[in-house]
Amino acid sequence: MAARQPFTDSDTADEAVRATCDDATICKRFATSKSYWKDPYIQYFVRSVGERKAPEINRGYYARVQGVNHLLDAFIRKAECDCQVINLGAGLDTTFWRLKDENLMPRKFFEVDFPTVVARKIHYIKTKPPLSKPLIETHSTDSLLLDAHSLDSDRYCIIGADLRDISNLDEKLKKFQLNPELPTLLLSECVLVYMTPAQSSNVVHWAAETFHTAMFINYEQLNMSDRFGQVMIENLQRRQCILAGAEACQSLESQKERFLKTGWEHADALDMMTVYSMLPQHDVGRIERLEFLDEKELLQQLLQHYSICWATKDKLNLGNAQLCYTSI
Amino acid sequence: EGAAQCDVCFSDKDYENAIKYYSEALEVNPSNAIYYSNRSLAYLRTECYGYALADATKALEIDKNYIKGYYRRATSNMALGKFKAALKDYETVVRVRPNDKDAKMKYQECNKIVKQKAFERAIASDEIKKSVVDSLDIESMTIEDDYEGPKLEDGKVTLRFMKEMMDWFKDQKKLHRKCAYQILVQVKDVLSKLPSLVEITLKETEKITICGDTHGQYYDLLNIFKLNGLPSETNPYLFNGDFVDRGSFSLEVILTLFGFKLLYPDHFYLLRGNHETDNMNQMYGFEGEVKAKYTAQMFQLFSEVFQWLPLAQCINSKVLVMHGGLFSEDGVTLDDLRKIDRNRQPPDSGPMCDLLWSDPQPQNGRSVSKRGVSCQFGPDVTERFLEQNKLDFVVRSHEVKAEGYEVTHSGKCITVFSAPNYCDQMGNKGAYIHLRGSDLKPEFHQFTAVPHPNVKPMAYANTLMQMGMM
Repeated sequence: MAARQPFTDSDTADEAVRATCDDATICKRFATSKSYWKDPYIQYFVRSVGERKAPEINRGYYARVQGVNHLLDAFIRKAECDCQVINLGAGLDTTFWRLKDENLMPRKFFEVDFPTVVARKIHYIKTKPPLSKPLIETHSTDSLLLDAHSLDSDRYCIIGADLRDISNLDEKLKKFQLNPELPTLLLSECVLVYMTPAQSSNVVHWAAETFHTAMFINYEQLNMSDRFGQVMIENLQRRQCILAGAEACQSLESQKERFLKTGWEHADALDMMTVYSMLPQHDVGRIERLEFLDEKELLQQLLQHYSICWATKDKLNLGNAQLCYTSI
Repeated sequence: EGAAQCDVCFSDKDYENAIKYYSEALEVNPSNAIYYSNRSLAYLRTECYGYALADATKALEIDKNYIKGYYRRATSNMALGKFKAALKDYETVVRVRPNDKDAKMKYQECNKIVKQKAFERAIASDEIKKSVVDSLDIESMTIEDDYEGPKLEDGKVTLRFMKEMMDWFKDQKKLHRKCAYQILVQVKDVLSKLPSLVEITLKETEKITICGDTHGQYYDLLNIFKLNGLPSETNPYLFNGDFVDRGSFSLEVILTLFGFKLLYPDHFYLLRGNHETDNMNQMYGFEGEVKAKYTAQMFQLFSEVFQWLPLAQCINSKVLVMHGGLFSEDGVTLDDLRKIDRNRQPPDSGPMCDLLWSDPQPQNGRSVSKRGVSCQFGPDVTERFLEQNKLDFVVRSHEVKAEGYEVTHSGKCITVFSAPNYCDQMGNKGAYIHLRGSDLKPEFHQFTAVPHPNVKPMAYANTLMQMGMM
């Protein structure tokens, strides 16, 4: 029997995608070190603050983190914490720990990512008490269910899985007590764009089929067909990172469409420049004074090429379709 | 009773009375640490910091375990600017009360200030630091026999040298470091003799070409010379800052511009932009490019040379040119600009900072800048400034414009930007301005980007790579 090729094209592409989790974490680590926002946990995932990042990158991550958190927190409050959160492609995200500190924990917080990423995260959690303590504190028994690619506790569960194999994902989530009856928030940040439109369509369709009251927040690229988009795609290609799902990133309309045509009732989308302008302006003013911005136009261009799209289903009539940024 | 009365005084914020009552109380009871501490607070509130410090110290002499005493003394020291002393006392409180969040916060705030002061002191002493020039021995740098590139003639920049160098750069070849150092040392000398506000007169028959940001886009710079002619005594140029960073041919741009400055010192002008600074160079690629193509020491020298670039230029006492724009406060005069001590990194605020960083805005008044520094200024600000200084209009750069230039504030504030298709991304045109001595009416010329070798912008900075990952 022929041995499997050690590194096929798709392996390389997947590896490049996994590497993006480090990019995000490193950039967030730098931005938080400069006080753009507080994240006392990220230092346990990447110790050194690392090389200086340009101010537009820091402001961009600020907009992303604040933008996503605003919707996420609003949903949890609306459901009065009687809900679930599933972070798809979570990487080394620290949201669970933030929600615990802010007393805004859902009934259960699920994270999904490639097995190798999950294994790394589990290692960090196991070896850093500030990360493991909150899990242990919120767990009813003395021992957590732990193996190489998954960790399960009462309030937090992390699963190694490939999002392109949706039935496998579904099975694993249900094994760890995913409750389809609970209002559920699904979150993906720069995840769907790395799979083909067909594969990402499966993901959002599965979510619509599985949950009757839910919100799906998707943060990713936008307006990819212009010059800026081309430059970005070329840069990523040089790192063997393929944006297989760039098609859905054409416009706000196409971002909403992918949800509306897979069973979601309602969808909204905004580009990050708009989101940035709708964030609490006193804090925006504060972060704008942290570092001098070389060229406003470039920041605008950058932000106009990312979007947040949020889709909702509301059988329980929570009013989650009304959640948006003007409620700040 | 005296004490009870005092406490009432505090809540009434009647500090003068509090001082009086506590003083009386202390006469009766001189070893009461609390009275000293409270009187210290009253002195703080009335800004008698010396007395406040004395009282706090006394309180601690009486009772070294009285925590409030440490707080009072630390606050007094902070008020007197003695941050290190204050830090010691906050440290004590934190040690004794490790769970006190307030104590920890005060300690951290004080610590930040101490660090900042130390940093500022370090910067201040940088100004009397030795120049790289002193540690260079250019004479003994030898040029290898197999170097086929341009060399200065008798240690001087000539037109022939410039033409050879520009071709050399066009073919992506590197200038010998000796020549680069020669240029830098000579141009530093020339620039340091210029005033911060350069004043020139264009005769009736003369004209000048004003270019905006070029940002390391060397091939577009060559195109400007092709369209508008090489610089000469009859074809003077003014480049309005931001010569480096972002584009990956910053060295080629800056050495060319410095070369022309040496060749035609009275017909070729350079003004400082916000990118001729350490902070920007560190982030946006120039420092990386110099370190990659030459050495860190050469970057140090560039940094010194940039500090000597003039900040503004006045033409025929009617047109003022600067990279950023006008000022965060009214009342700035041309004389103020002449007097700016510019051999430094720009401060966080003030006229030198505004000259490099501010932007015009359409509405009247001033606003906080989205850049995080300096301000945005409206047509009324421009009007008042021009009137006070008897000027006709200002020309500035600093912002990319789709058409390469923009006329705002009813013609009184003009922006010119000379880096087309900025960062290979924006798709904008570039522009330059012809200004004739005869009428001083700006004439705009636009141009589009030309192809360049496949070295992506920001090749020497990580940012563009990060942009795909957000």
